[in-house]
Amino acid sequence: MAKYIFQRILAAILTLFVILTIAFCVVRLMPGSVFDDPDLSDSVKKVLEERAHLDKPIFVQYLYFLKGVVTENDWGTSVKLSPGMPAFQVIVQKIPVTMALNFISLLIAVPFGALFGILAAMKNKTKVDTAISVGVILGISIPSFVFATCLQYFLAYKFGWFPILYQPTATTAVKVSSMVLPIFALALSPIATITRYLRGELIEVLNSDFMVLAKTKGLNQFQATVRHALRNAAMPLVSIILHMFAGVVGGSLVIERMFSIPGVGGLMIKSINALDHSLTVAVLIFYAMISVATALIVDLTYGVVDPRVRMGGKKDE
Amino acid sequence: MSNQVYEQNFDINNLDPADFVLINKGEAIKDEVSSIKALGFFKDAWVRLKRNKSAMMAFTLIMIIAFFAVVGPSMNKWGYNDQNPTWTNLPPRIPGLAGLGIADGTRILENRRTDYFSDPNKYPEGSILSYTVTGNVNGIDMATVKVDAYKLAGVPDDTNFLFGTDYLGRDLWTRMWRGARVSLTIAILAVSANIVIGVVYGAISGYYGGSVDMVLMRITEILGAFPQTIVATMLVLILGRGIRGIVTAMLIRGWTGTARLIRAQFFRYKGREYVLAARSLGVPDRKLIFRHILPNSIGPLITQAMVSIPGAIFSESFLSFIGLGLQAPEPSIGVLLSDAQKTLLTYPYQMVFPAILISILMISFNLLGNGLRDAFDPTMRGVTD
Repeated sequence: MAKYIFQRILAAILTLFVILTIAFCVVRLMPGSVFDDPDLSDSVKKVLEERAHLDKPIFVQYLYFLKGVVTENDWGTSVKLSPGMPAFQVIVQKIPVTMALNFISLLIAVPFGALFGILAAMKNKTKVDTAISVGVILGISIPSFVFATCLQYFLAYKFGWFPILYQPTATTAVKVSSMVLPIFALALSPIATITRYLRGELIEVLNSDFMVLAKTKGLNQFQATVRHALRNAAMPLVSIILHMFAGVVGGSLVIERMFSIPGVGGLMIKSINALDHSLTVAVLIFYAMISVATALIVDLTYGVVDPRVRMGGKKDE
Repeated sequence: MSNQVYEQNFDINNLDPADFVLINKGEAIKDEVSSIKALGFFKDAWVRLKRNKSAMMAFTLIMIIAFFAVVGPSMNKWGYNDQNPTWTNLPPRIPGLAGLGIADGTRILENRRTDYFSDPNKYPEGSILSYTVTGNVNGIDMATVKVDAYKLAGVPDDTNFLFGTDYLGRDLWTRMWRGARVSLTIAILAVSANIVIGVVYGAISGYYGGSVDMVLMRITEILGAFPQTIVATMLVLILGRGIRGIVTAMLIRGWTGTARLIRAQFFRYKGREYVLAARSLGVPDRKLIFRHILPNSIGPLITQAMVSIPGAIFSESFLSFIGLGLQAPEPSIGVLLSDAQKTLLTYPYQMVFPAILISILMISFNLLGNGLRDAFDPTMRGVTD
């Protein structure tokens, strides 16, 4: 067991290291430099580039970068967007709002998805099931930004129930209500995914022998479903939700832009356009860390619960 | 053959050959010929698919959209980039629907000075349909007017823009179908490239297994750790905003799903006896992979392709939506949506048609994908609808 955990963590660190390297190279190979300003004299430019080590070959730049990361948690310094500020700090400022958006939308998605999934499975082949299945197809198919646009136009503009854009400086009540639409827009697809998974899983389990036994011992349909059938489906669900988290964080980029939420997604686009390379690398690493971390958690929980996973991956099966 | 009762006292050593008759003489022994015609793999799947109503409807819708994507842009006289500065932002006017009060080319304008209403330079004759006075500013009555936007802009009566025009006066009908064509092209290009790469990669990984598999799968894991949207953003920035850049962006990790699927299929089939038999006959690896093992995966592969098309359409419009789509004036569904988003509150109709189109496309491809999966693999039926 300890060996398994150690292996997975080592693999995750290795993955992260490779990503770090690729991200660094790709971003540095992008055309243009932040110091390509015609107003700067050549001598000033030279001093600036020297200070940022840009005059050296890319491999040496990479070594400097690695040294900074490992020895003093220095992810480079932002030059354009927030000049002089460490890239790490710039991101840390933006994380709370992005994380709040993503966490809350997933927190909402799980109970709703579970509710609809259980309902559809229990009322299998009735109108309720059909309605939920149609809803699932819509939720999975309609792009989040189309859905968000509809919400923005009808609920915010036509009916005026919510602010059209995110209001970071307003009172708490207004701020919260301005978060409702983006959260809702982000939660739609996770709700549909969870519902679809649970419905499929439960329909299969509901006809199994242990469900008959559960009912024979006197449980009603609902109790039997929640206590016995759901437990079977719970473990894969956790991994689906964790994987979704990584996806949602990436997907919130466009929602953040539509509702002008000052989060990490916007920072990414802005830093790329401003050629603020250290910041871009740092944001990329942030996203990569989230998906590597979720993958690691999934692997570890699976390994603990299901011994077959630990044994997997032998040659020539 | 008849059961003759022989007399009991015959002599076993003295049998008369004349007593023996050859049975079945002159008639061949054959199995009964089945009256049912054998169904091939694809025909069998097609029979099942035909019974799936939603999948067939989705298929029809996709065909209709594909037809318009090919024919639609040349159905009227406007090109996708014909600009007309005086005919900007015209609402849609569809001749048959005008009686119902929708898509009749009218628009409501608020806070207009009533004293200008009689000025034919500002309001050409017949352009004002009705108005209500809402207030009075500096002695001038202000009104909410319902105008015929086509007359107001001086468009001839027989000219209709079915989906309206955009901020440069371009016909949205032409642009939308051309956009659909571009989006579908990008999706099909990206998906077929993904399938080819994924099949070869997954086949090698699954067939050789062991350390080859370990290394190859680690690579896909690393690629998978990058969020798709972020990778796409980066690549479009490096490669430029064109079809090439967008397709490459989708390629970077799009094929890993196919690779995993094919790898799993290879693990399932490579130990089978028929593979062993072929190998003992000296069939080379390449032929074993592509001729003997890969055809087992054709069903899941087609399903996978169909399911990834909506993903590709989504990625394209996503990139356009954050401003990294195709370069103007080339339209795509994403470009149209993103343009419409800018004027959403004033001209919502510009959003309606592309939004409906992309939703129908995504839903149809998903439904067809589900239907195909059920058709190719009936044991999976209804597990995930």
